Order: sequence, then C-alpha cells, then structure tokens
Amino acid sequence: MLTVFQRELKLGFRNSWTYSFLILFSIFTGAILLLHSSVSSIEGYTNMTGTLMNMTLYLLPLITLLLGSFSITAEKEDGHWGLLATYPLSSVSFFFGKWLGLAIILTTIIFFSFGISGILISIGGQAINTETFIFFLVFSVLLALTYLSIAFLIGALSKNRWQALIGAIAVWFITIVIWPLLMISLLTQLPSYKLVQPTLQVLTILNPAEFIRVFSMMRLGAGSAFGADYDALITWALSNNGLIIFIIMLIIYVFVTLFISSWIWNRGDKYGAD
Amino acid sequence: MAQTDILLKVDNISKKVRKHEIVAPFSYELESGKILALCGGNGAGKSTLIRMITGLIKPTTGTVSINGYDQRKHWQQFKSSYGYMPDDFNFQRSISARETISFYAKLKKIEERRVQEVIESVGLTEVMHKKMGAFSKGMKQRLLLAQAMLAKPELLILDEPTNGLDPYWIQQFSELMVKAREQGQTVIFSTHDLHVAEQIADEVVFLNAGKVISNGSMENYRDVGLHETFKRLFISA
Repeated sequence: MLTVFQRELKLGFRNSWTYSFLILFSIFTGAILLLHSSVSSIEGYTNMTGTLMNMTLYLLPLITLLLGSFSITAEKEDGHWGLLATYPLSSVSFFFGKWLGLAIILTTIIFFSFGISGILISIGGQAINTETFIFFLVFSVLLALTYLSIAFLIGALSKNRWQALIGAIAVWFITIVIWPLLMISLLTQLPSYKLVQPTLQVLTILNPAEFIRVFSMMRLGAGSAFGADYDALITWALSNNGLIIFIIMLIIYVFVTLFISSWIWNRGDKYGAD
Repeated sequence: MAQTDILLKVDNISKKVRKHEIVAPFSYELESGKILALCGGNGAGKSTLIRMITGLIKPTTGTVSINGYDQRKHWQQFKSSYGYMPDDFNFQRSISARETISFYAKLKKIEERRVQEVIESVGLTEVMHKKMGAFSKGMKQRLLLAQAMLAKPELLILDEPTNGLDPYWIQQFSELMVKAREQGQTVIFSTHDLHVAEQIADEVVFLNAGKVISNGSMENYRDVGLHETFKRLFISA
C-alpha cells in the first residue's frame, strides 16, 4: 500500500491537472474569502457564509470526482492494473494506497489555496474572520475526502474515462444541484407527517455533501438558516453524540465506499481474489 | 509443492463470450527450460490464451498450473511463479524508466541492484532517468521486458515482445531469451515474427480463429520452415 501511495503522490504532483485545479481553486477560494471579508464585521455564520458555502459545494466535489474517477479508469485503460494484478498486491491495498495519495494531493491543493488567499487578503489590508476561515478549510477537506471515495467507486464501475466523466457529472448533479428539489418532492409525497423526520434524516445521511453541510452549519449555530421546521428535525447534530455520529458516518462513507470499490474492481473476468 | 519437469500444465482451457468461442479447448504441457512460441495472425486468440494462462482472464473451462500451483487454488504462489509482459500497456509519462522499474521492484521486494541489472540487460542505462513520455515504442517494449524479468521468475509469459523493436533489438531479445533458457527459465511468447520463433523456440503452437491448427517441436517444422508452414496452414484453414 505504501509503494502505491508513494507512486500516486509522485504522479499527482507531476500531473498538470493538479496544477490546473490548484490555480482554479486558489482563484475561487481567494474570491470567496475576499467577498466574505467585505462583510466581516458580522461574526460567525452570515447569509454570505451560506452563499459561499454553496459555491464551494459546486466546485470542490466536481474537481474531486473528476480527479479521482479519472485516476482509477486510467489504471484500467492504460493496462496498469492488468499488469499489477500479476504482482503480490491486493486490490484493497491498491485502492487504499491510491486514495491516500490523492487525499494528500487534494488536501495540499485546499491548504495551499486557502493559505495563499489568506495571505493576499491580509496584504490587501482586509480582515479575515479566523472562525470562518477554519470553518471553510475543514468543510472543504471533509467534502473532498468523502467525494474522493465516491470518485473511486465511479472509477471502479466505469470501463473508460468517458463513462467516468458521465458518472461523475451525474453524481455531482444529483447530490449537489438537484438534491433540494428531490428531497422536497419526496417529502411531499409522504402519507404521514410522522414520517417526515426519519425520512429527512435518512435522506441527509444518504447525501455526503448535504450531511457535511448540515452538520457544519448546525455546529456553527446556524441551524435557523434551514428554517425553523427543518432545524427542529435535524436534532442529532447538536446532541451529545452528534460529533461521534458525524465521525462514524464519515468513516463509513470513506472506508465502506473504498471497500465496495475494490470489491467491484476485483470481480469480473479474472482471478485475483486475494 | 513438489518440483516436476513439467513447469506449465494447461488442461482443457477455453474461452466463450456470449456463446461465441474465442479460444477452443486447449491443453498443453511445457517442460522446464523450454521456449514455446504461440504463432498466428491477428485475432487468432494468442493474447486471450496468454491472459488465460496468467489468470487475468478467467477461462470458461479448464485449469492452469505452474510448477504444481493451481491458478484457482494457489493464486498467490501461482502469480509469483511468472513474469508477465503485456501487449497493450501505456507507461506513466511523467516518471522515469528507473522510477518505473523501481516501483515494480518494491512491490516484489527486489533489491535496487537488480533494477540496475535488468535496465542494463535491455540497454536502457543511458536513458533510465529520462521520463517515459520521451521513450519510443521500442524502448517501452524493452522496459516492459525488463519488468517481466525483474524477479528472475521460473516462467516468462510475453505477449508480442518483439512489437516495435528494431532488427538489432529483435536479435538482442532472442539472445536474452536464449540466455534465460540457459539459466533454467521457461518462456512462452506470442509473436507474428516467425523468424524469431524459428530462431529461439523449442516448441511451436499455431493458432487460427481460436483453434490450435498445428503444434509440436520446432524440429518438426525445421525442414519446411515456419513461414512456409504458416502459409500452408492458413491456405488449408
């Protein structure tokens, strides 16, 4: 696993895509923090924070889905896995090694972008709200790590980069773009109001982006931004076990998805059930 | 597992995809220290047969064992018994030849000294620090061969190893294989290059449309020659 991880790091930091994403994300993060610093007189969560959070939700999962799923399908298309399968390397070690390498690359992109944006804003004489800064940083890293595992699942299911592209855009579109609409449509179809809370909680858990967003906002004391009814329904985030539930769920998202991906990768028309 | 003279035992393997027969039932026993050439035109089933032997494609029927290790029952020992050179492979362009081979060596826990040795044996020492993106098809083939030879496996399984090689390196390849045989290694390779097969093979299998149309010791074909045999076989097929 360590050898695959080292190779992934090497390849990632020599890949021009990494630097394209780094530049794009730096510009984007800089713009977000600059906009936010203009209303920095208000501490904590503001409408601007919510808007900027949604903007992060649009770009970061898409970047992660593309980077991750392409990295996996390239192994298939270029024949690397065909050769590696003849080596003493299990698909689980291969997937975890690759995931770890790409996770470090994505985290570096995020930290670099936030760092450079913070420095530029400070030089420009604008104040940065530290709480908001750290909030966006942690939120972005968690979002990237979770979507990276989903990207691996897409990669494992796809035969080539084109299929991965379609899969990545479909997941991004469902979990980010039309999710609120899907959720409202489903909730309005429920026969009883009693079913709304459990359904809402299940739906929130099903979508990693929504799950991380809801938890982060609730912990930031911004639950009212969802509306009083919704706020009352998503009570788990503020409970004593809220943080534990959140961490367990993230571990499940990341590791279960990775295990499923490596299982899918390994099945099919070859031996190699290590 | 007891060592026998038969290194590779292929028993009735075949491949069918949606009722379409890609490779007809095939059985073969290859003794240790022999070189077997799989010859045939495009789409003859050479690569499918090779991938079934490596275990990268599950045969529809039959079994394969190397040195007594069954492909299904002893997968780990089975795959450590051979070195494989695939036909369709794109190297990572942003890493050097040395880094590429070192990666494979680390996976098999092979010393760096051996990395240097195999790179030297395929004549890539001077360019080993160059990125793979700058390599020609022939240089990439030589590096793939180096990768297969890395662990000094009992069996070398090479899919179209001479593709893209210039005449000098085709000759060098032949010499490397002869040397491997002298050191007790066994080789299976697929090829269109009947001259190479004639030069180094001990045994030959001719395939056409997934079926073996002729096979035997190279000595049986020596009088007529492989080119003439190929022509006759394909006219009759």
